[in-house]
Amino acid sequence: MKSKLLFLLSLVVIFFLNFFVENIDPYYYTIIIYIGINIILATSLNLINGYTGQFSLGHAGFMAIGGYLSIAISAYFAPFFINTFGTGAIGSSISFIIVLIIGGLGAAIAGVIVGVPSLRLKGDYLAITTLGFAEIIRVIIQSLDVVGASQGFRGAYIFANGLKAADIPAELSNEPYVFYSIPKYTNFFWTFMFVAIIIYFIHNLINSTYGRGFLAVKDDEVAAESMGVNTTKFKVIAFVSGAFFAGIAGALYGHFNLYLNPEDFNFLKSVEIVVMVILGGMGSMIGVIIAAVILTILPELLRGVAEYRMIIYALLLIIMMLTRPQGLFGVKLRKQKPTPIK
Amino acid sequence: MKLLEIDNCTMRFGGLTCVDRLNSHVSGGELVGMIGPNGAGKTTVFNIITGVYNPTEGDVRFTGKSVVPFKPYQVADLGISRTFQNIRLFQSLSVRDNIRISFIKSLKAGFFDSIIQLKHFSNEEKEFDEKINELLEIFGLIDVADEYAKSLPYGEQRKVEIVRALATSPKLLLLDEPAAGMNPTEKIELMNLIKMVKDKFDISILLIEHDMKVVMGVCERIFVLDHGQKIAEGKPEEIKRNPKVIEAYLGETHA
Repeated sequence: MKSKLLFLLSLVVIFFLNFFVENIDPYYYTIIIYIGINIILATSLNLINGYTGQFSLGHAGFMAIGGYLSIAISAYFAPFFINTFGTGAIGSSISFIIVLIIGGLGAAIAGVIVGVPSLRLKGDYLAITTLGFAEIIRVIIQSLDVVGASQGFRGAYIFANGLKAADIPAELSNEPYVFYSIPKYTNFFWTFMFVAIIIYFIHNLINSTYGRGFLAVKDDEVAAESMGVNTTKFKVIAFVSGAFFAGIAGALYGHFNLYLNPEDFNFLKSVEIVVMVILGGMGSMIGVIIAAVILTILPELLRGVAEYRMIIYALLLIIMMLTRPQGLFGVKLRKQKPTPIK
Repeated sequence: MKLLEIDNCTMRFGGLTCVDRLNSHVSGGELVGMIGPNGAGKTTVFNIITGVYNPTEGDVRFTGKSVVPFKPYQVADLGISRTFQNIRLFQSLSVRDNIRISFIKSLKAGFFDSIIQLKHFSNEEKEFDEKINELLEIFGLIDVADEYAKSLPYGEQRKVEIVRALATSPKLLLLDEPAAGMNPTEKIELMNLIKMVKDKFDISILLIEHDMKVVMGVCERIFVLDHGQKIAEGKPEEIKRNPKVIEAYLGETHA
């Protein structure tokens, strides 16, 4: 009950904060949006890696699917959206919600396809499989002309004869066209609404009898199975809902940058999200959120030494592993009491 | 009535025969012991019954139905629950939540109910809380309910494992060496506990144990495994005098 009130209250606060935040310096505004997107990515990966204990290294792949799917639909079906819902505040909100959900569902479906066979694997093997999946997605996008291939995707050309393309092909160079860029839907309100939703979602889930099943799967699969927990089902559910939110994050990212490039979703992006989870503490919601904030701001502060960023990341991780292996806010067993369900 | 029937069961791993044409049964309300030297295949039998392994040959029937095609979580649903030789509690969960896991299989609330958390959800959670408290009360664990299960002393951890298995409301409880690592006082407590569980919860128990005092003290019937084969079956007094059993345990010269 308390968490429900808090959730609604936070939505109201985000709604009013939106008017205030919109007028700040665009540079800071961008960072704030990226913080929100990274929180969504990190907390959703935390459900898979932290709570359920399935080490996935493919979160950028799900983000890519969600991002590309939603911006492609936004651009290619722009006339449809404009004619049906108009371009007003409410109309574009409806259009945005539709493409966001489509992006999320696309990523979730990919999650089922990858998850069902690969979740039989454990530890390193699962990490390698998911990493491979993310790379496959990136390479596929790189060769998909319909979303601009390796050039990246900015919007769709819709020609007078009805053809659509991400670029102007030579044979259509004389054909009149209209260019539909990706609409700039993402703002503070939408981003942090989804931050609030995912926090509420995972908090409620983990603190229910059902959700404790995820933790049981992480702790001891054999015992969980013997107590009647369908461990495969729980792993797939964690994987798919994590993928769904990664897809949403990708869609928010695409509708903010108004441009996506396959390189945005390379191996390093997946690692970045994993680092947030590990740094924050596997299975600690607060820790992961704080780590997402720190690791979004830190690269900005380190712009002067951008080439050495990865070295600093690596050092940070090594120091963490040596001094606080449970993460910034991770729970060290036996020292603290477990959090009861209330 | 036969609750559990092990019918001509054989389990081979490559060339190694772990369980060899085993026939046995557990009747309703019975407390049966399974003993045998190390490596006799006792735990393998448990793993076959609970669906971890599929027997190479033969069949295992529970209430007349074969359990062979079922996965472990489905077997738990049928009403067979177990404890483990090496304690397998959920480390990052409290004692209370360890037991809560056993209620997942009877959960009415699904994934979305657990997120939206409406009235019927909280009612169900409350109902579980009461059931858990009741169980903890019976076993004297209520004071440590919110501790990490792993932080308890060894004997208590064994108890939590038994409570967790009971919380799935089984018809048959499989106990894998519950007295291992216990001191004599704890063992006597355990014997009383096992008897109490059987009467109070009205279930059948199949027990693996090395400690003869415990086995002879609580079991109504015992069967003995050696190299995967059943070499004897009968009442505790008969087993004690059986030359084959003495030979298996102490070697030929003493027989």
